[in-house]
Amino acid sequence: MPARRLVALTLACLGTSCSQWDLGVDIPFAATWKGQPISCESASPALTDLRFYVSDVQLIDSEGRARDIRFATELHWQNDAVALIDLETGGEACMNGTEEISSHIIGVAEAREYRGLRFTVGVPFKLNHLNPLTAGPPLDDADMHWHWRSGYKFLRAGVRTENDGFWIHTGSAGCDGTVGNITGCQFPHRVVVDLPDFVPGEGGVNIDLAELLSGTSLNDGTPSNCSSGPPETSCDAPFAALGINFKTGEQKGSQRVFSTQ
Amino acid sequence: MNKLSYLLSGTAFVLLAIWWAQKEPHWTWQLPNDIPPPSVPADNPMSQAKVELGRWLFYDVRLSGNQTMSCATCHIQALAFTDGRPTSLGSTGEVHPRSAMSLVNVAYASRLTWANPLLERLEDQALTPLLGDEPVEMGLGGQEQRFDELLRNDTNYSRLVSAAFPRDEDPHSLLNGVRAISAFIRTILSYDSPYDRYLNGDGAALSEPAERGMELFFSERLECFHCHGGFNFTDSTTHANSNVDRVGFHNTGLYNLDGEGGYPVDNTGLFDMSGERRDMGRFRAPSLRNIAVTAPYMHDGSVPTLSAVLSHYERGGRLLEEGPFIGDGRLSPFKSEFITGFVLDDRERDDLIAFLESLTDETLLHDERFTDPFLN
Repeated sequence: MPARRLVALTLACLGTSCSQWDLGVDIPFAATWKGQPISCESASPALTDLRFYVSDVQLIDSEGRARDIRFATELHWQNDAVALIDLETGGEACMNGTEEISSHIIGVAEAREYRGLRFTVGVPFKLNHLNPLTAGPPLDDADMHWHWRSGYKFLRAGVRTENDGFWIHTGSAGCDGTVGNITGCQFPHRVVVDLPDFVPGEGGVNIDLAELLSGTSLNDGTPSNCSSGPPETSCDAPFAALGINFKTGEQKGSQRVFSTQ
Repeated sequence: MNKLSYLLSGTAFVLLAIWWAQKEPHWTWQLPNDIPPPSVPADNPMSQAKVELGRWLFYDVRLSGNQTMSCATCHIQALAFTDGRPTSLGSTGEVHPRSAMSLVNVAYASRLTWANPLLERLEDQALTPLLGDEPVEMGLGGQEQRFDELLRNDTNYSRLVSAAFPRDEDPHSLLNGVRAISAFIRTILSYDSPYDRYLNGDGAALSEPAERGMELFFSERLECFHCHGGFNFTDSTTHANSNVDRVGFHNTGLYNLDGEGGYPVDNTGLFDMSGERRDMGRFRAPSLRNIAVTAPYMHDGSVPTLSAVLSHYERGGRLLEEGPFIGDGRLSPFKSEFITGFVLDDRERDDLIAFLESLTDETLLHDERFTDPFLN
């Protein structure tokens, strides 16, 4: 590790400015419903699940250039490419959840002035079709894997009200090849999030479930869901909130679920 | 070569043979001459110890989240490893949209489950019933550690796992459990039905009606064999000596909800995976071996008897005049070109059913190698 760090420093100093990877980055994530915190213990609506993979995390420097954040890989919810954000605490409404949470992305960036954060909700293609029984953390979580479709669930989220509920699982669909040898996916379903007003150290990322579920059937009295399968009209609204046209799989605009706290 | 070099090369050969024999556990498929061996993934070679471990795990309810169901709950030997229900029930009471498929000869299936072009290996498929939560089947997800501990702390498993995975430093893993279950399932092979005995020279094994039914089954008039052909009675068949990727998904005209070929939303077949409209209602043709004991039929168990199945194909698609799924499947634009309809008289219908019944392998349904070891 020290040797790698030295090489990185040397390379950084070959550029126009000599910067060091010594800016500690700690990005907290939190869940809300119409401005109020929401958890598994909330009365109504209550969180039933909220876990998602984050990758390609970058800070935007004063020249508008996106610069990488290196994850602290000694933390079990992060490897060098992906972090698993887990905001559900198990129990109560989160019956299928886990007690453990991981609500921060922690790493380092080059020491600079930054304003703006960009990240992808999803697992990069080259890691997305690993066998979860042999992959290392955080890609070894069976709850986050779509065994029959191959690939990970990028986002699991859901809420429960007194008489209804809605959950969504996103992930790549329409994949070609066979498990162990997937060659591509027609509907990648990776969500790019741009938060231009984010300042490191001054706030975090908020995920607004009311926005995510705003156009769904949450209040019709019949629990329903969207699991990213092609036939589901129930997916149109939440995917639109994530900035994705569900019919074509294309990112067609900016998402409105994630914001700066 | 002189004597010494003969001696040396001979010794080297013997040593090599011993090394090889120790390297790979010895496994022989005991198959009739005309049946090819199944293909086996390179990273999960067959062994007797692995199959034995897999058999215990297959019947162990501790593999479910609430310890109420095992693989065998939905795959019952007497029913050719199906469950007799239209659609299966998960351990927490969730209803699966599809019917449990037979495991018989699944080692020869080029793709697994009803309509998944991605799934080739049992080792990959097993993760869905074990860990999946859409719907919850066995519901082991989140309790993988408990599974590892079961293998480590149960004296029976501890012994079996060491024997099955002798080279692993820590063999107590779900990965190895899944490998063992897959190895066991690959041994569930059927080739001793009256039809098989007839093919092998026992002319009396088939009754006269069954023999006439066989002629009908393999006729161009009925077209059954286009999808249900070959030694395993399905076009999605592969084996160790096969170089072709044979896989077929067919729309048999069961539904036509909207006049445009629509299927019920939780059972759209290949469309669910591909998103291509032309894949609506395309399902894999299951093997017909032991078909008489696996009612009810089709991916959703919506056809109760073999006679009703024949009526469906006779009409060239199913007409539903009431209920939530009204529509005439015969008119579906996505229907297979082999489903054209035919007319059977009463005797022909009985003959065809007699033939399908001759595919029942009583040996397999009672074979002690596949029974519940916890009951012994």
